[in-house]
Amino acid sequence: MSVEKILEVRGLKKYFEVGRPSLFSRKTESVHAVDGVDMTLHRSEVIALVGESGCGKSTLALLLMGLEDPTDGTVVFEGRDITHLNDSQRKPLRRKIQMVFQDPYESLNPTQTIEEIVTEPLKVHGLGNAPDRAERVRKAMEDAGLKPAEVYLKRYPHELSGGQRQRVVIASALVLEPEVIVADEPVSMLDVSIRAEVINLLAELRATRRIAVIFITHDLGSVGFFADRVAVMYLGRIVEIGTMLEVLEQPQHPYTKALLSVIPVPNPRLRRERIILQGETPNPINIPPGCRFHPRCPIATEECKLTDPALLQLSDTHQASCLLIK
Amino acid sequence: MTELALKTAAPPASSYMLDFWRKLNKNRMGLVGLGMLVVITLVAIFAPAISPYDPSSTSGVGASDIYQPPSAEHLFGTDDAGTDVFTNFIYGSRVSLTVGFFAAFISIAVGGALGIIAGFFGGRWENFIMRLTDVMLVIPDLPLIVVIVALTKPGLLNIIFVIGLIGWTTTARVVRSQTLAVKSRKFVLRARAIGAGRGHIIWRHILPLVMPILVVQAVLVVSLAVLNESTLAFLGLSDPTKVSWGQMLNYAFGRGAMSTGAWWALVAPGFGIVWVVLGLTLLGQGLEQVLNPRLDTHHLMPGRPNVKKEAEVRSDNAKLVLEVRNLSVDYISEGKPPAHAIENVGFTLKQGELLGLVGESGCGKTTLMLGLLRLLPQAGQVVNGSVFFGGKDLTMLSEEEMNTIRWSGISIIFQGAMNALNPVRTVSDQIGEAITKHMPSFPKEKLQGRITELLDLVGIASDHKDSFPHQYSGGMRQRAMIAMALACNPQVVIADEPTTALDVMVQAQILELLSELRRKLGLAVIFVTHDLGVVAEMCDRVLVMYGGVTAEYANVDTVYNDARHPYTQELLKAFPDLTKPKKKLSSIPGYPPRLDALPPGCRFAPRCPAAFERCQIEQPAIHAVAGDSNHVASCHLVEATK
Repeated sequence: MSVEKILEVRGLKKYFEVGRPSLFSRKTESVHAVDGVDMTLHRSEVIALVGESGCGKSTLALLLMGLEDPTDGTVVFEGRDITHLNDSQRKPLRRKIQMVFQDPYESLNPTQTIEEIVTEPLKVHGLGNAPDRAERVRKAMEDAGLKPAEVYLKRYPHELSGGQRQRVVIASALVLEPEVIVADEPVSMLDVSIRAEVINLLAELRATRRIAVIFITHDLGSVGFFADRVAVMYLGRIVEIGTMLEVLEQPQHPYTKALLSVIPVPNPRLRRERIILQGETPNPINIPPGCRFHPRCPIATEECKLTDPALLQLSDTHQASCLLIK
Repeated sequence: MTELALKTAAPPASSYMLDFWRKLNKNRMGLVGLGMLVVITLVAIFAPAISPYDPSSTSGVGASDIYQPPSAEHLFGTDDAGTDVFTNFIYGSRVSLTVGFFAAFISIAVGGALGIIAGFFGGRWENFIMRLTDVMLVIPDLPLIVVIVALTKPGLLNIIFVIGLIGWTTTARVVRSQTLAVKSRKFVLRARAIGAGRGHIIWRHILPLVMPILVVQAVLVVSLAVLNESTLAFLGLSDPTKVSWGQMLNYAFGRGAMSTGAWWALVAPGFGIVWVVLGLTLLGQGLEQVLNPRLDTHHLMPGRPNVKKEAEVRSDNAKLVLEVRNLSVDYISEGKPPAHAIENVGFTLKQGELLGLVGESGCGKTTLMLGLLRLLPQAGQVVNGSVFFGGKDLTMLSEEEMNTIRWSGISIIFQGAMNALNPVRTVSDQIGEAITKHMPSFPKEKLQGRITELLDLVGIASDHKDSFPHQYSGGMRQRAMIAMALACNPQVVIADEPTTALDVMVQAQILELLSELRRKLGLAVIFVTHDLGVVAEMCDRVLVMYGGVTAEYANVDTVYNDARHPYTQELLKAFPDLTKPKKKLSSIPGYPPRLDALPPGCRFAPRCPAAFERCQIEQPAIHAVAGDSNHVASCHLVEATK
């Protein structure tokens, strides 16, 4: 792994206001979707960002993409602060950071052909002339595993399978030759047999094109061999981050441990005790005082209700925020 | 690998609009409407060629020509001035259609543009446009049009503009809500992520998806404009030099057609107006049906009668609650050979047993479950096999008898059913309905107690009993669905992908709940899923399906540690295993076969790494694996090891 930083976020926060002040109540509340995230992504690195729905991982993705404005904090790309750029300043940057969405059925316009979809980014950025564009589209599609490209060009999304559609989404991101891909649950809507295909494709792109990937998922099981590092998010914050092996084999935060314990292992001989947390991620409007995980934590103490733990450095690469880590 | 994918999944290319046209082509109502409009439009265009007389010439008309009844000379008779009604009728269509189409064009252009601006930009624009629309909608259209036309000169152009500029409001509203819906779709976000500007997004992504709605709206607006024009003309507000249907009515009424009994002078223009408006309405209805698939009625209707006749005797095992033997389901569509969706699938279910039914999407898992409950869509038909439950063969029962089995004997939790709860009724209300609907004799006074008991069973505290679905989280809604499935004490529960779309932790909670219910109530559960991990954690037996046939059926431990069918082996390799994080995942190239293009031999052969010549030509039978009476697999390789 290269040590060159490509994307860095510091103290990133995003609060959404909910409920307008009305005749009866002047109080506005805010959803603390992302509540102070620090993270560094290196060139050609894959970080898996894991957490339940409502933990803020998708909002974090939109912040990185500049599709939402952060409430606080900074986003630095290749040494340049890009937190508050306007549309025209951001446009050249968009070529370098691309996004792959969760639902390949929803993220393609049903009225466009595959050719139109994959060519669109080039047109939007005014890149190349017609033959040049056609060549770039063909290359991006073949790199995304749509070979031979000619067969797919004139088709419509509804004529392709889920896996093929996700490849189209990836091709339309690749055509701009990005340096970072933010992939928001790119396989959760796909069949198990096809998930591996898409994950392997992203792994291959990282190797051949040196693309850095932020892989957002709620399924710790699928990050395995592909991720260099894993970050676990809970209620808007990263509660544990480390190399893939550190997090999967020596998890320190009780939340990570619980998440790992409920991932089904495909072997009935390895049925084990599961730590099932009750309830669901609490409403991010009323963040619990103290450690935000304490109401669901199986090992919480009185101290946890009062003190909000900071991330503790466990090794050069491993950090976790829990008061009970010795 | 991809070449192979093409072979298995390559439907012919067709465009979005072509598809739309093809569907409309099948819609009789829409076609009739379209036909009526084409006829009247042709009449208007070729008026000079069709009409027997010149409309402007009234010279040579004597007093005897006034109000002549229909005759060979005057097909529709003559009017008060002695002119041929048929000629006027034909020329009248020109004015009606001209005003109709051009006024509608203005309405649609203005309404469409304002609707898109309001929906897309929101904020102040939206506020201003929508308030303006509200104000316009409050003022009655017709009096406003009458006043404006009366104050200005009632020329053709004037009328077109007035009608057009007043009729845009509903279009603006409809387009705005469609724009809001399209705007929230992911491909618009994706376009923004690419860096596309607003103009580009509106032009390339919003407009094409608003277009179909705009077309339907246009049809309605045209008919409104035609009616408005006729009303104006009937009231005397029309260009006196141009004959129109409304004007004909006006003259006929004003000049004694009623008192002289000259009905033809009224019927002809009336017929014209009705023809155009009816044509437009039918076309509008047709378009609406094509564009709004919810009006289709293809979902879960009781299927066709079964065709197999002879009754079979069930096996003599009292512990079995359900036994499915050689079940086959065909999908029948006109002009095509039947598609064998399910072929000879069998399994048994003991009391308290948890059977995992696995396979990729499109392998027939859901069809098998719907087939045994006889809930197949209209085209589906059970053509062979039997389903024994409670001493009866379900395939032989009448629809009424089957109704008593569904829910009280075998209930099903559908995929995504948690999103199907009625949002305006409380959860307990809906559970109560499930009870009374399936057990009409259930005592009313015990109903509330039973609901509380059921909710308690699935872990919902009674203080949430009278909440509405939106006050529940996804996990709680799924629990409520399970409570509903348990409402009539079934012996078998079919859970079709009950945890898809739920978070891992909530998934774990639901799975825990299902295992607990099985222990407590002795439920037999069929768990349909593509998640092999979940199956390994929970199930006793596993049925792996591929392309509508049994691939492998065995105890759970055997499937994970001694799978014989290459499909099972490949599925296992594709599933991530947390205990081996460094292992590279392998995917199964290609896709399950399409039902209308099943391979001639083994259905898995085109994707199978171990396929040999025989697999391409001969479909393997279900073979017992030597040394294990509970293990079968349909593979030529298994037969060879015997």
